[in-house]
Amino acid sequence: MSTAVNVTVTPDTFHFVSFDAALIQRVAESLVAALGLGDREVVIEVDETTPLARVTVDIGDTITIRAESGAFEDTRKPRNQSETATATSLGRVLLRAKDRLSGGFGEAPADSALTLAQSAAWETYSVGRLDRLGIPVNQQRWRYNFRNRHGFHDASDAAFDRLWSSDGLTWGELDEISRAGATAP
Amino acid sequence: MRKFFPVEELARDSRFHQVTMRDRMADGRSVYRSEAQSKKVNNNRLVPSRPDASDAARGLMHGIFVGEIQALEGAGRTCHDFETNVEAPFALKLDMARQAWDEARHVEISVKLSDWMGSEIGQFAENTVLFEAACSTDPVLRLAGVNRALEGLAIDVFTTMKEFGDLAGDPYLEFCEDWMLADEVTHVKMGSDWLRRVTEGDPQRRTKALEFQSVVDKLFSYGGTRSDSQESPIGLARRFRELAGFTDDEVQDIAAVSMEALDERKAAVARMHAAAALAEASGQAGTHG
Repeated sequence: MSTAVNVTVTPDTFHFVSFDAALIQRVAESLVAALGLGDREVVIEVDETTPLARVTVDIGDTITIRAESGAFEDTRKPRNQSETATATSLGRVLLRAKDRLSGGFGEAPADSALTLAQSAAWETYSVGRLDRLGIPVNQQRWRYNFRNRHGFHDASDAAFDRLWSSDGLTWGELDEISRAGATAP
Repeated sequence: MRKFFPVEELARDSRFHQVTMRDRMADGRSVYRSEAQSKKVNNNRLVPSRPDASDAARGLMHGIFVGEIQALEGAGRTCHDFETNVEAPFALKLDMARQAWDEARHVEISVKLSDWMGSEIGQFAENTVLFEAACSTDPVLRLAGVNRALEGLAIDVFTTMKEFGDLAGDPYLEFCEDWMLADEVTHVKMGSDWLRRVTEGDPQRRTKALEFQSVVDKLFSYGGTRSDSQESPIGLARRFRELAGFTDDEVQDIAAVSMEALDERKAAVARMHAAAALAEASGQAGTHG
C-alpha cells in the first residue's frame, strides 16, 4: 500500500495491468492540492480486473475513489497507464467531491441517482475546469458525450459551451442549463 | 512491386500502435462478470443507454477506421498478388479494385466520424488480425476470409453503429453507417458469388475455403465481442447477412462459432483470474508495479 501525505492507492502492485501506484498517487496529490482538498484523506482503490472505465467517489471524512482500470489506461497501448487519463479521471471525481463539499450542491441527487443528462452536464462542467487547470482534454469528446445525452441541436451546443466555460455554479444553475440544453429549438 | 505483403510491414506513421490477437487475448481483464459477481444477466450491448456509451462508441468507431484501412490493403493486395486469368479471373480482380475504392471512401468517412466523436487518429490500438486474414496465398481463401468473414463482421458492426446513431439521434453517424453498410452487403455478395464460381467443379477447394472462413469467423468474434448474446457489444445482423447471400445454415453456424468464442473467452478469463489469485495468495504474484 502506497501512502503519502494524504493520498493512499491500492493495490500497490498490479498483476493484470502495468500501472504505477506511485504515479497515481503523485497525480492525485497534485490535483488535491490544486483543488484545495488537502484537509481530507483520499483513498484510491483500483479494480484492475476489468478494462471498463467507471470511477465512483464516496465523500466522508475520507474521500474514497474506486476506479476501474480503463479509467487510467493508455488506449493506444492497452494495459499501460496514461498520466493524462489518470489526471482526467481523478480530476472529474475530485471536482465533483469539491462541488458537494463547497456548498451550493446540497440538492444534487446522489451520484447513483443522477440521470445520464445530469451526469453529462456535471462532467462537462468538471472537464472544462480541468482544461483551465492545464490538463490536456479533447473538448470534442465531451461535446459528443453531452450531445448524446441532450440531443444533436444548437440548444444542446449552447448549453455545453456555457457549462464548459463556467466556474462557481450551484447545482440548481447546472441542472437548469442541462434542462435548457435538452430542449430542442 | 513485392507480392504477399507481411502484416508486420504495413505502412503506418508514428500515430499508430499495433497489437496482435495474441496481445489482446493475453489481457486477463474482462467485462464478463461471473454469476457470483452479478445478480442480473450481463448486458454489454452497445446502446446509448449504457453509461459509457459515448466512449465505447468512439472506441468502436476507431476500430472501424483501422479495419477499413486493412480491408483496403487486403482488397488492393488481391488485385496485385495473383496473376490475371491464371490464378484469378480479371473480373474478380476488377471487383476487388472496386472494393478497394469503396474501402478508401470508408476510411475517409471513418476519419471524419472519429473527428466528430472526439477521437484522434491512432488514439486506440490497432488490432492487425483483419489484414492477417487477407494474407492467404490462395485467392479463394482470401475471398472466404476477407469478403465473407471480415466483411460479414463489418455488416454486424455497422448495423450496431447505425442503430446506435439512430437511437442517440446522431444524424451523421446513422446516415454514414447506413451508406457504408450498403457497400459491405455488396462486398459479401461479391465474395460469395466468386467463391462459388471459382470453386465450381472443385468441391475440395470450396470445403477448404469454407473451413478457413469458419476459423476466421471465430477469430473475428474477438473472444465474444460479436455474438447473439447480450453479453457481446456487437450483435449478429441476421437480416443484412441474409441480404448479403448467407444461407440460414451459414448464419446459424456463425452464431454457434461466436457463442463458442464467447464461452472460451469467459473460461480463459476465469483461469487467468484464478491463477492471479493463487499467485497473490502464495506471495509470488506478478512483476508489474
